[in-house]
Amino acid sequence: MISNKKNAFLRDYLLSLLLPGLGHIVRGWWRKGLLFWLFLAAMCGTLYLAVLRGRLAWLAGPSEYWFSTTMLFLFFAILWLWAFFDLRRSIRASDEKSFVQGYWQIVSRRFSKDPKGLVGLGIIAIVCYVAIFAPFFAHGNALKMDLVNFLAPPSAQHPLGLDNFGRDVLDRIIFGSRVALGIGGVATLLNMLFGGFLGLIGGYFRGVPDAVIMRILEIVNSIPFLVLVLLIVSLWGAGITTLIVVLGIFGLGPARIIRSEVLSVREEDYILAARAVGAPTLRIILRHVLPNAIASLLVVTTMTIGVNIIVVAGLSFLGFGVRPPIPSWGAMLQQAQEFMRSAWWMAVYPGLCIIITVFGFNILGDSLRDVLDPRLK
Amino acid sequence: MAVVLFGLTLLLFVLLKTMPGDPARIMAGLGATPESIEVLRHRLGLYDPLYVQYWRLISGLVNGQLQAMTYHKPVWTVIVERLPATVELGVAAVILALFVSIPAGLLSAIYRNSPLDYGVTTAALMGISIPVFWFALMLMLVFGVILHILPVSGRGATLFGWSFLTVDGLRHLIIPSVALSSVLMALNARLTRASMLEVMRQEYINTARAKGLRERVVLIKHAFRNALPPVVTNIGLQVGTIFAGAVLTETTTAWPGIGRLIYDSILRRDQSVVFGLALFMGACYMISYLIVDLLYAYIDPRITYD
Repeated sequence: MISNKKNAFLRDYLLSLLLPGLGHIVRGWWRKGLLFWLFLAAMCGTLYLAVLRGRLAWLAGPSEYWFSTTMLFLFFAILWLWAFFDLRRSIRASDEKSFVQGYWQIVSRRFSKDPKGLVGLGIIAIVCYVAIFAPFFAHGNALKMDLVNFLAPPSAQHPLGLDNFGRDVLDRIIFGSRVALGIGGVATLLNMLFGGFLGLIGGYFRGVPDAVIMRILEIVNSIPFLVLVLLIVSLWGAGITTLIVVLGIFGLGPARIIRSEVLSVREEDYILAARAVGAPTLRIILRHVLPNAIASLLVVTTMTIGVNIIVVAGLSFLGFGVRPPIPSWGAMLQQAQEFMRSAWWMAVYPGLCIIITVFGFNILGDSLRDVLDPRLK
Repeated sequence: MAVVLFGLTLLLFVLLKTMPGDPARIMAGLGATPESIEVLRHRLGLYDPLYVQYWRLISGLVNGQLQAMTYHKPVWTVIVERLPATVELGVAAVILALFVSIPAGLLSAIYRNSPLDYGVTTAALMGISIPVFWFALMLMLVFGVILHILPVSGRGATLFGWSFLTVDGLRHLIIPSVALSSVLMALNARLTRASMLEVMRQEYINTARAKGLRERVVLIKHAFRNALPPVVTNIGLQVGTIFAGAVLTETTTAWPGIGRLIYDSILRRDQSVVFGLALFMGACYMISYLIVDLLYAYIDPRITYD
């Protein structure tokens, strides 16, 4: 009997290794299995496109082809391993008959039942996927000009039309997602590190450091963020690196929120207990304060990415963001402004992409705020 | 507040001093000889110590003598000339936003978790996600280029410097103010909803229901009245959002306000106007913050300031 059961396990594991998700489906977890199949289908489609367009290259050809090729095979490997280990974990969990649930288990169950969060996550996943595999999805490349057919309206060959230099709008949008997510993501990382540091110091130590930090925050916050960044970028010269650094340093919105979160966490009894047993300050901050503030950190991060994407788009629109030949959604809109009367497609689609992406981050943040709050049951 | 204002001037001064390009060369124009540029440098005091330059800038702003570099007028004159356009744009956007967002937020709180609520919250999230300049472009495209109902750019005819007093000016005002109000609508609808939900959890709402008041009376007289003040006072905290939105909307629709002015001045490297305007925006923000604080104390007798 026991050996029978073991054989059954072995069969499911083998099936899962054969095709990710198959093991799940055999076991009756068909929703998860179908999800794996969906991922697999999407990646096979990407592989097909890459082969079709002859861009599956490694150690040869343009470096962006290598990057996407490497990522694609990495994704395949991750999918296989993920399906296998997820199946193993699920089988063990179902075997143990354990009813105790940790915080993250509750959170993930609640998240999987929240349509808002799933929609947001789906949007972000799709945009990220497109950004990573941009060279495979794009028809040509974002810079190729067609000086005969410039400003051509949407057609079967160019679904979203051509811009004033005869560049394909769809291709530019696809490559623009890299710029938007890249700048938005890295700037937000800097925001969280820098703002998080300030907020943590201010909230935990209070007193003089807090007063100084709060004054700095007030000074920086008193000018509209866009105007401040516009001013600095115009001084230091536009460019992706400048943009990331300026957004990262002067986007102090997260600092205030983290500070207030830390202020409330540090009053909890477990912090007092940690101090009473003589834990060093750094340990208290890393082990007790940060993990308990993680919920609001996650929400703030998600929302800040959206804000940064909009600000970058606004700056590029004003001509102080990403430099013209590099495709970015904001800069595309700036060009579109001149051709409003003749080429509406140049203005409509990049804007829609900004909205959809930022909406994804906002709705995910909104849902995380509900899901992560342990008080709401 | 004084500390913050001082810090702001210092921050701006440091930023402006790192600005590449020679202000004297810009002021002198294209055909200037090196000698005349040198003379201008001396006249502008670019060789003075930094604290002297800083003091000159601040005192010049305070007594109104600071000259704009490219407009050949004092900075304040340039700003005051452009101010009415932004004021009417901002006020129109705020009024529009309140008229839409308060009822929307109210209904969505009352009918919580209904399709109406989901619609309003989704629309509000959408509103936060829409870049105002793109919204302005779309309005221009639909109402100006395709339908030919509204003028696409500029301010139109003005009366005493205000364009809302003339029909033509009012027509020009529609697109920029609707675009600018989109983000305010979204923010305030969310705020109204949250505030209303917060109030409806209070004990006195239960009391009001328990003593048999009609639901409408409970909602309007007891809940809504207490939910409104935070929403209205929060308008004061959105001054920064309005200014940032104004920069984008005014640039898109060629509305000649201070948002457009700061953009033009940055392009023309007119340091004194940029300095004056940034300081002006910062001061406006701080003053509105102060007013909101005082208003809170006025509205809510439980808060006192020593």
